[in-house]
Amino acid sequence: MTADPPAVELKGITKRFPGVVANSDVNLTVRKGTIHAIVGENGAGKSTLMKILYGMQPPDEGEILIEGNPVKFSSPQGAIGAGIGMVHQHFMLADNFTVTENVVLGAEKLHGIGTQAKAKITEISQRYGLGVEPDTLVEDLGVGDRQRVEILKVLYRGARILILDEPTAVLVPQEVDELFGNLRELIREGLTVLFISHKLDEVRGVADDITVIRRGTTVASVKPDQVTARQLATLMVGSELPSPEARESTVTDVPVLVVRGLTVRGPDGRPIVDDATFTIHKGEVVGIAGVEGNGQAELAEAIIGMRDSAGTVELDGVAIAGWDTRRRREAGLGYIPEDRHRQGLLLDAPLWENRILGHQTEPPNAKGFLINVGGARRDTTRIVAEYDVRTPSIDVAAVALSGGNQQKLIVGREMSHQPKVLIAAHPTRGVDVGAQAAIWDHIRNARIAGMGVLLISADLDELIGLSDALKVIYGGRLVADADPSTVTPEQLGVAMTGATGEETPS
Amino acid sequence: MSTDTTLSAAAAQPAAKPRSRRMSTSTILLIVAGALVGLSLVHQLANAPDVTSSGAIQAALQAAVPLGLAGLGGLWAERAGVVNIGLEGQMILGTWFGAWGSLEFGPWIGLLIGILGGAVGGLVHAVATVTFGVDHIISGVAMTILAPGVVRYLSYITWGSAGATQSPQVVDQVPRLSVPGVNSLKGLEEHQWFLISDIAGVLRGLLHEVSLVTILAVLLIPLTAWVLWKTAFGLRVRSVGEDPQAAESLGLNVYRYKYYGVVISGAMAGLGGVYLSTVTSAIYREGQTGGRGYIGLAAMIFGNWRPGGLAVGASLFGYTDALQLRRGSESVHALLILVGALLLALAVWEFIRRNRVVAISSAVLGVLSYVLFFSVDKIPTALVQAAPYITVLVVLALAAQRLRPPAADGKPYRRGG
Ligand SMILES: Nc1ncnc2c1ncn2[C@@H]1O[C@H](COP(=O)(O)OP(=O)(O)OP(=O)(O)O)[C@@H](O)[C@H]1O
Ligand SMILES: [Mg+2]
Repeated sequence: MTADPPAVELKGITKRFPGVVANSDVNLTVRKGTIHAIVGENGAGKSTLMKILYGMQPPDEGEILIEGNPVKFSSPQGAIGAGIGMVHQHFMLADNFTVTENVVLGAEKLHGIGTQAKAKITEISQRYGLGVEPDTLVEDLGVGDRQRVEILKVLYRGARILILDEPTAVLVPQEVDELFGNLRELIREGLTVLFISHKLDEVRGVADDITVIRRGTTVASVKPDQVTARQLATLMVGSELPSPEARESTVTDVPVLVVRGLTVRGPDGRPIVDDATFTIHKGEVVGIAGVEGNGQAELAEAIIGMRDSAGTVELDGVAIAGWDTRRRREAGLGYIPEDRHRQGLLLDAPLWENRILGHQTEPPNAKGFLINVGGARRDTTRIVAEYDVRTPSIDVAAVALSGGNQQKLIVGREMSHQPKVLIAAHPTRGVDVGAQAAIWDHIRNARIAGMGVLLISADLDELIGLSDALKVIYGGRLVADADPSTVTPEQLGVAMTGATGEETPS
Repeated sequence: MSTDTTLSAAAAQPAAKPRSRRMSTSTILLIVAGALVGLSLVHQLANAPDVTSSGAIQAALQAAVPLGLAGLGGLWAERAGVVNIGLEGQMILGTWFGAWGSLEFGPWIGLLIGILGGAVGGLVHAVATVTFGVDHIISGVAMTILAPGVVRYLSYITWGSAGATQSPQVVDQVPRLSVPGVNSLKGLEEHQWFLISDIAGVLRGLLHEVSLVTILAVLLIPLTAWVLWKTAFGLRVRSVGEDPQAAESLGLNVYRYKYYGVVISGAMAGLGGVYLSTVTSAIYREGQTGGRGYIGLAAMIFGNWRPGGLAVGASLFGYTDALQLRRGSESVHALLILVGALLLALAVWEFIRRNRVVAISSAVLGVLSYVLFFSVDKIPTALVQAAPYITVLVVLALAAQRLRPPAADGKPYRRGG
């Protein structure tokens, strides 16, 4: 062993929330100059552990050592001072601020907030190949760029230890490769990276060490070349994973959702979704592939009725364009929104109230025009059990659930009303491998019963594995069709970036 | 690539996002010149000298300042993410404390005391909304209900039952300044020459006998812009209004910057109050603020949460307010020519930009203006008095399409959430 003390050493960290022990006696050692991955199922306590290291939450017990020195942080300020930076699971960027404003905030003393700061940003950006422009507004940036701004923010403060919480959840393969390229660059400069991910192949590909957390404690530390993804998954959940079943097509020729010429315009009049036309049949899953920000979110919102749009939408033979969202939902549209914090959940409301949300006029939530509290609560208990939502009770606020468990609750709610068509935007975002398989099973079973699905996802394996037909969206237009039985993630990834030149068949 | 490629492709164009958010200086000058020419035309066409008389302009300036200060108050609070509809209450505190301070210690100390009074009002609002998480609207309404009661009580104990609703006369006022020579424009103004008399009137109105407080208030507009957009302090205040979680994750004490924003907000409103009781008039009277806190808020929304826009909004409302006192029936009637033309122009512009709802509503309003103009010679007094409020309503209704409030404006925030 070298004489160098480890970059980070956590000893016996314990953290309790009302009703849950998020971390109990966690031990973690991160060698300097390495990429260290942390994996574990939803609610295992990964984010909590990282927030403790970053000073956002105080541990109840335990010790933190940075480069051999014991430290105690009462706020992120302290952690930043000790050279720790964190990129959160949900981005922490103000949309209406420029890159510079977002980066210098809180660190104005370093290089001011003007020209000097911009020069510094450009310098860091070039040094690590981040390609970030200091004057762009963050709202004009795609997810990949935002990610790099987050990293730049951390580097700007001179961080030597980087924490990335699920940095790849929203990225397409090319962006993931770029990100890992950036990370390797950092390691070469002697920095240390800690990162959380649910994509186990990716973890094995990039990490130097892997720590597995289960139910709040560290259960194993492994080297990536000594385990397979399946072994990792088994370590995470503590039991064998169900093997993915062979699937046969359930596509019928009865159209259930027919969309013609759907166009959504932005505030400036330019089309965000441009003339989208497609049909979903009973029992069919139609996947939409695209880099985030190319209109897929708006397409989903237009179909569920949250956005004004031109064009026609027919659900099971009934024209529903012009209906409001509630009517569409009652008529049999289910919706899993892409951003569970912005839509889909009332973070401060208890789980059973969130169960009612969007289905407030339907049984078991309603009796006549009154809310049926008893029915809603009973059904929430059922969803929690059936979808394995890890929670101390159905009375806790949704905000207290881990990201993946919030997602499971939403999926359970939407599936409970037997929708004719489910609009699923990133249905397994931030969900661990075990729960992911379970959600896929739920969708497949409903599909056998005749449900149509519009699937939007950044996870290309999920798209290809689940879809019966694939469409590529780019700049608001459906630019290409692909056959999921033959297309590879790489081909799909290339098409998503709008590179269509080399597609001419010979 | 091999023949088994399963992708079929159509042409695609990437989405580029060109944007320009701020007006350049030359555009602004152009607009000012256009407004002047428009008003001169109105002056000549409808024979309405009061639309650009120095008296009207001076009154407009005096009416605009308290609105602008209230608007600045709103701006500081909302940029920090706190809605402050208690501005009215903080203004009321400003009127009373300003008058009382001026009577006791002279105008300058009085000014300071009035500002402090407003700031304390802001502090109370901050304690309620930031520390205790009270709903911003509820706390603001409470402030507006509470303030008149507090000052009534204070009046009673300081000036006795005779002075319960108004103070003694304030004799000592902050000095007024004139630009030398500007008074000689009076002659030019009286000639009623096209454009020249109008410019003379406007200049004399703006530069003759201007209170130092007015100058201070006008300077607060660029000062606020500079602090909020060019200093680290301002960046921090704005960040807690845009994304407090992000600010927190960078180690900022979000509560502290919200406090700063709301207390400064109260101080601005307080200054607006002092202005009413010691500059516009020389006496504190109950109900003196007359809803200016709310109009100031509307001016800020009109200005899209920016100091420059807010100043334009306040001037617009101040101007309509001033006109009603100067042969209002005729002047407002004459102005309909300009208003109608502007609305119709807006209608065309919005139609090109495919904003059908706005286009149609402004076209209808434009036509209505002309119908009104040609069917009567004088606008009924009741309608004249309502003119500033109608302006607020119309402008807000038409402008609301493009507004961009701070992203976390009015949202509750808890640390570690
Ligand atoms: N603020 C909070 N209040 C109460 N409980 C919380 C809070 N934050 C997290 N928890 C609980 O702590 C546990 C661990 O949550 P954490 O967010 O660390 O999980 P995670 O491993 O990051 O999961 P995921 O992969 O789903 O993001 C969960 O049971 C969660 O419900
Ligand atoms: Mg997490």
